[in-house]
Amino acid sequence: MTLNALFSKPLLATLWLAAIVSVGLDSASAETLDGDAERGRELAFTCMGCHGIPHYQNVYPTYSVPRIAGQSEGYIVAALRAYRQGQRRHVTMTAQSHALNDQEMKDVAAFFAAMTEDDDT
Amino acid sequence: MISGHSMLLKWLAPAVLVVMSWSPVSAQAQTAASAERGLSLSAQLGCQGCHGEDGNLMLDADYPKLGGQHYDYLVVALQAYRSGDRDHAIMSSFARDLSDQQIRDLSAWYASQSGLGEWDVRPQRRRGRGTGRNPSDP
Repeated sequence: MTLNALFSKPLLATLWLAAIVSVGLDSASAETLDGDAERGRELAFTCMGCHGIPHYQNVYPTYSVPRIAGQSEGYIVAALRAYRQGQRRHVTMTAQSHALNDQEMKDVAAFFAAMTEDDDT
Repeated sequence: MISGHSMLLKWLAPAVLVVMSWSPVSAQAQTAASAERGLSLSAQLGCQGCHGEDGNLMLDADYPKLGGQHYDYLVVALQAYRSGDRDHAIMSSFARDLSDQQIRDLSAWYASQSGLGEWDVRPQRRRGRGTGRNPSDP
């Protein structure tokens, strides 16, 4: 195979396409977190039933429901997406994750991330 | 039959004790969680690289804050990474070889640090501190 054949036009076109797609994917993964904490406050109402009661216990198995006040925004979004995609399994959280679209997940995450111990809700 | 059983127990009981004392895993299972050991482990195993000494470093935007998280939740999370029930490119490989004791020690360390808060939506109650005692803490 000659060098000319290796850089034939269809191959070049494929390489360009791959480059463009990869740049596109990069910018998609580097999206900014633009959650609206105020909107998140309203959406987070149902979260409070478990995450808003100190030492509330998950059962089967039994362990404390995790603290998420002050948790990182990116982690909360990643966790919710993982539940929605079935990568993380938890009956209640899976149900909750399906009730939220991408923007709503960001809003909820922004609300929890900004929350401190002194907040009154 | 009764004497047969007691003969069996007479020989079996010491044998079980000897096996238990030999087995490092069952010996470890008897030891309480130690935040102090967890601190050394977190440095030694590399946890601190992403999570920081006190669990409040988040090297990547998607990484969680661990400081002040519930002890028993951290144990469950690490066990899930170890068993493959929870999957993460980095955490799964880090957790794969952890012993139960190491999981308890690491969890005790990060749970003992301040960071995550706890709030209480119930009326007429003050919000607890992030490092408040949990009935299930070690």
